Order: sequence, then structure tokens, then C-alpha cells
Amino acid sequence: MSESVKIIEKKPIPSDATMIIGLPDVGLVGLIATSYLISELDLEEIAYMDSDLLPPVVVLHQGVPHAPLRIYGNQNLIAVISELAIPAPALYTIMREIVDWGQAKKVKRIVSMGGIPIENRQSINEPEVFAAASNQELLDMLSKNGLKSLNEGYIVGPQALSMRYSISKKMQAIAILAQSFYNYPDPQAAAMALKELSKISDIKVDLSKLLEKGEEIRLKARDIMKRTQQEMNRMQKSQEYDLPLYV
Amino acid sequence: MSEKRKKLSNLDTLNEYLEEIKTLTDKLMGFASPEGPSWNTETCCLHALSNVFITPREVIVTADLPNIEPETVKVEAVDENIIEITAKMKKKVRFADLGISHRQGEFSFLRCQGRVDVAVDAEKMKISCEKGILEVRFPRKNIHELE
Repeated sequence: MSESVKIIEKKPIPSDATMIIGLPDVGLVGLIATSYLISELDLEEIAYMDSDLLPPVVVLHQGVPHAPLRIYGNQNLIAVISELAIPAPALYTIMREIVDWGQAKKVKRIVSMGGIPIENRQSINEPEVFAAASNQELLDMLSKNGLKSLNEGYIVGPQALSMRYSISKKMQAIAILAQSFYNYPDPQAAAMALKELSKISDIKVDLSKLLEKGEEIRLKARDIMKRTQQEMNRMQKSQEYDLPLYV
Repeated sequence: MSEKRKKLSNLDTLNEYLEEIKTLTDKLMGFASPEGPSWNTETCCLHALSNVFITPREVIVTADLPNIEPETVKVEAVDENIIEITAKMKKKVRFADLGISHRQGEFSFLRCQGRVDVAVDAEKMKISCEKGILEVRFPRKNIHELE
């Protein structure tokens, strides 16, 4: 465990659960999707992160202060969200701690949700979703369940680090990435990502409310999107548009 | 000055430069996305997210405008370099609707401004709005037109 970051547990943590990570990133896809899961499945807060690397912020909900980076769960599922744009330099330590903690809690698999920026997003009716996995066996499982794989390209940010650290710990990791706006909140992309998640897990929720509340979410998410964009610029997120060279 | 002190002094200078670069970067990031509330209770406006893309032939301004009446969208040039977009919302939004109890105010409009640092032909702008994303395309003025 790193000195500057620690996870404080509030409730017993289930083992053999799937850990979903939805941190603020492209189109806030992962954050919107994971927050919706927490609300629809009525998950309770089981832990939170305390770190000097995060700004000195608490979030008030119904008058009660909460840490911005929190972990929710039930018997089968652990969900990590942050209501704060994570400062780019802190991302390494924070992601390493989340993956280490996941390993200590014997999670079955880490699924990181996010978006892939796409320039002509407004002319796409239904965003496509792509997946990446930490090993070939998992990739085959994704393909067998109808998920398209992200064959070539770069992943930058929380999904990249969850994948990197999971591989080094020989843990199973998947990234589910929906085509989305780069710096506009994209609830529809979040719904598409959740739809694909349901194909490879027992995590199934009715997505109609998420789509209905799309405009409201876009209004509410403007501030966190703006701050997330600043951090995405710092972590060179635009590299996701690059074509990789692998001869 | 001893060799060791000279090395230390070089290192200090380098550190000073790095610190200066960091300060400038933070400042630039601040300009890119200035601090301040994303609303204005006096004008009853919520600030919309927006982007400006400059290509060799045109300038494209986009804005995220959820919950608006598309026919109320206005695109105006505030001055030579600033484009302002406003639109009326379908339904007024109050702080209370956003769960905020320690502020009062209601908002009827979404507004944003985009900085365009090249000459454009505002009369030939084309506006489209899909899924609440407004896109305004301005052809860039050619050099001979400017002359």
C-alpha cells in the first residue's frame, strides 16, 4: 500500500466479485455508466479512498460529507467511481492502489468502463462499443459473447493503467470502451457500454431511465466534464487518435 | 567556485526553469478552461460546453446544448474574435432542480462563447443541430479577400 493513498473500508468486502471502474474520462462514459449501476442496483458504500494526491474536497450528499472517490458494492459486484476529476499526475498511484486492493480482496475480474473519442459522434445513431482484455483467453471469451475487440490503437488514462497493473499482477482485466464525444458528457455511450457489459456478466439493468435522463445528466455533468478535460489534456489523451506503429 | 558547487548551481537553475515551465503550463491550462461558475444568475444562463476547431478552410464551433428549443438558437459575433451561442431551454432549471439548496436562481438559457482567432465569413455560416449538439461552420476568409 502506498503511503500517500489508502482505501478505508466501511463494510465487509465481498471476495470473488467483479470490480467495475468508472472514473472521469472521455465523455464521462465510465463514470455515468458506473454511477447508474450503483443507483439501479442500490449498491451501498463499502469503502472510500483517502489520499493527499487528491484536492482537499468532500462531496456533500443530503447534507452528509463523502469522499469523492468511493467504492460501492454488493455480494457480487464492486464499483469504483470518482466525483472529482483525478489529477493526471496522481493517476498512477491511485490506479495502482485500486488494482492492489482488488487483488487483496480477491476480485474475480476488473472491468474498466470508458469512452473512445470519435470526431463525428453527433452523426452516429448508436455508438459502437469495443473491448480489450488482459490475455488471449479473455479476448476469446469477449468475442464469443459478441463483443468487438479493439484490435490496434492506444488506450490512455485509467483504463490503460488498470490494464497495465492487472497484467503485472496476473489478474483478469477488461476495458469496455464506447464511441463517444471527447469532452461532452455522453449518457447514450454509457448506456451502450452497459449493454455490452451485460453480455459478459450477470450485471443487467434497465437502460431506459438512463436514456430518458440523458439531457438532465448532460446539464449536471458540465462542470466535472470541464475539469476532466483539463486532466485529459495533461495526460495526452489525444494520443488515442494516433495510429500505432507495429511492424 | 568548486566543481561540486557549480554542479549544484546548474541543477538549481534547471529546477528553476522547470518550475517556471510548470507555472506557465498551469497558466495556459487556466486560459484554456477558465475558472469560475458555470452559470450566471443575472442573465439566467447556464454555460454550455463548447469547442472551436480551426481547419485550413473553415472554422467549426460546436456546443453541447441539452434541453433546448432548437428554433431559439442564436449565433452572433460579439466582436471580431468572439462568437456567442445562446439558446432557450425547453424548461427552466432552478438550483433546487440540481439538488442545490444553498443558492437561489433559475436559468432559462444556455450560452457559450468561442474564440476564433482567424478571419471568417460570418455571413456564410452554416448551422446544424443534431441530438442537442450544435455545429456552426464558418468558411475562412482567404488572404486575398482580407487584402
